[in-house]
Amino acid sequence: MPKHAHPSQSAKDRIVDAIDIETFFYCKDETEAKHLANALMAEMNLPQGDIVFLEHNGLGARVRLRSYIHLPGDHYRWLEGSQRGQR
Amino acid sequence: MKKVLLSPLDPVHDNAVKLIQRKLRDRDYATILMPPGTTVEEIVDTAIHEKPDAILISRTLGYQVAETLGRLVDLAEAAGIRETTRIGVGGMAITREVGAELGFDATFVGELKMTELLSFLENRKIEFLDGDDAAAENQGKPDITAGYTYQFKDSEIASLLDTIAEQALHWASTRTSDGIKRAQVRQQMLETDTEAEIAQLRNDYTKLSGTDIHSFYTQGTLPSGVRWLETKEVQNLPSLLETKPEKHKLRHTQAKPLFFVQYGTGCPVMDIVHIKASEAWGADGVLHFDPSWNAQQEGLMEGLLSHEHDGTILTYENLKLIREYIGENTLWDVRGHRGLNTAETQILGHAAGAGLFKINIPYGSTGGGTDPARLAVDGIYSLHLAAQYGIPFDIPGNDELSGVPPQKTFAGILIMMAIGLKLGARPIPKPLMCYSPYMAMHGDMDDNMIDMNTAKLAVWQTIVDTPVWPGEPIGFMTHSPERVQSATTTAAHAALATSLGMDAATIASTDEAYSKGPISLQARVDTLRSVRDLLRFTGSTHFQATPQAQVLMQELREGIVNTLKKIAQRGDFVQSIYHGDLGSPEDGIYPGRVGQGTVQNL
Repeated sequence: MPKHAHPSQSAKDRIVDAIDIETFFYCKDETEAKHLANALMAEMNLPQGDIVFLEHNGLGARVRLRSYIHLPGDHYRWLEGSQRGQR
Repeated sequence: MKKVLLSPLDPVHDNAVKLIQRKLRDRDYATILMPPGTTVEEIVDTAIHEKPDAILISRTLGYQVAETLGRLVDLAEAAGIRETTRIGVGGMAITREVGAELGFDATFVGELKMTELLSFLENRKIEFLDGDDAAAENQGKPDITAGYTYQFKDSEIASLLDTIAEQALHWASTRTSDGIKRAQVRQQMLETDTEAEIAQLRNDYTKLSGTDIHSFYTQGTLPSGVRWLETKEVQNLPSLLETKPEKHKLRHTQAKPLFFVQYGTGCPVMDIVHIKASEAWGADGVLHFDPSWNAQQEGLMEGLLSHEHDGTILTYENLKLIREYIGENTLWDVRGHRGLNTAETQILGHAAGAGLFKINIPYGSTGGGTDPARLAVDGIYSLHLAAQYGIPFDIPGNDELSGVPPQKTFAGILIMMAIGLKLGARPIPKPLMCYSPYMAMHGDMDDNMIDMNTAKLAVWQTIVDTPVWPGEPIGFMTHSPERVQSATTTAAHAALATSLGMDAATIASTDEAYSKGPISLQARVDTLRSVRDLLRFTGSTHFQATPQAQVLMQELREGIVNTLKKIAQRGDFVQSIYHGDLGSPEDGIYPGRVGQGTVQNL
């Protein structure tokens, strides 16, 4: 563990800025794919979720989802080694 | 002659040991190569009979790594081999921790670095973080303009530029602005030690500033979304960055281009982390981007400031903090080509240690939104500063993105070059590699994107002996939010630029076309990796300019001449921008309005 890291930090705390999730949903159309994308973000408890890319074709959709764990200007937990400061 | 036993401890993967064998033979080592599937017992048995000075083991498969390698070490120990033979291990499945834990004499991770291996074989101290890449780094910071004479090869263009540049310089010589006056005050502030004098100068500066900046200095108010960086945030940075990365090289056999990435997350601390990661993954240079509002108000703030939105605020303290962490050999460019603080940006950039400035009057006073007369006065003053500091300036041609045809954009870049050269500065043209609205409308890229881009890059060497730096970023408007697509198109443009002998290139992240959030760090790595792999693929091969590219190049040259003739005939560079000679409303751009009516006669 790097010197600056606090033992109580979670893996999520160590994400510099964003987490991307890439997957392929089995779904009937783009609308359903969007619904599933948003549902997945909620299920995974990821804040500020967004669909970066979504392309439906045939049986499903390729998607890339993003959640910003730390935005520029936040207090970064990977820098502080503490749980404080999340926006 | 030293003897080395090489063996994959792997059922199939033996490329690494074969490559090492070839490189060691070139250096007069005696080598024994064992085939894939060799067992631990066979390696030890061979070592007992051959008595090598060293054994190098490679392991790619991750399955039962610790067990297999541990057994090798134990058996070698039991056979007494280790008294005379040192054992090193490397490969995809190996980490430094695993190697050290199992008791190997050396562990090699990542790509093959012969300097590390040779140090081990010659029993020298191994500088694991100082291999081939660091050796290249030690050659010093590169100078993009080195070796170029700036001699014009096209006499007709040279003559037109001479007329236009003379007129522009004469026009600017009798004018000034509050932006220039603030730059002069800031220069004095940087050179003064006494607090009382600085306070007086700050007072003078405040009087020359717009409302928001005036409030900042008089009432301490910060714009929305801006906060002071806390001491602990800055203090924690050194420990965060103490691990020196193993720097990747983007180029394979190619000597150039140098690759630049743009940063400006809003927060200097986040910028530093992005810069350090970009350097580790191979970036040769970085460009500082400030918020657009920073350019649209008179005056700049002071102090360590973080900003929630795109663009990192230009202050001396922010720049100095960022510079402190930029690698010794990484080139650093500060954007100042547009806006009301162009002159002061050069002062701050120079004081903080910038190695390049970015200045383009025609682009900044159309696409950048600043009044042409104001930016001409401030921009020409900035070129004086670039010459005085000996800092090259690059000239982005991004007005093409608004629909301006390349011949007009290039004419504007050439005028900037001519003005700069007359002042003794060193310009670097930055033609845009893009799928611009003009190309889409005129169908010049309907079949492929190589011919037109080749023409746009190759035409420069027919006009003037100059470095060329395609920007900014390359592949503009070919990117989508899909990361694989985005990385691929950047890499394709990088390969073309490399093949055409370009001196530098600015590359985007795979978030280039994603507009709903800041650029993520993984998106930066995406593109750097893709460029690296495509340059490995192309090596020293070259694209040939097709007959169609030659035709397009000739058309470009004619278009440049016609544009310059029009400006020379008008006899007024600034009025030419107002009248659309370098890009008109029909093309898609308008003269900027920020700072209108603020030019003062001397």
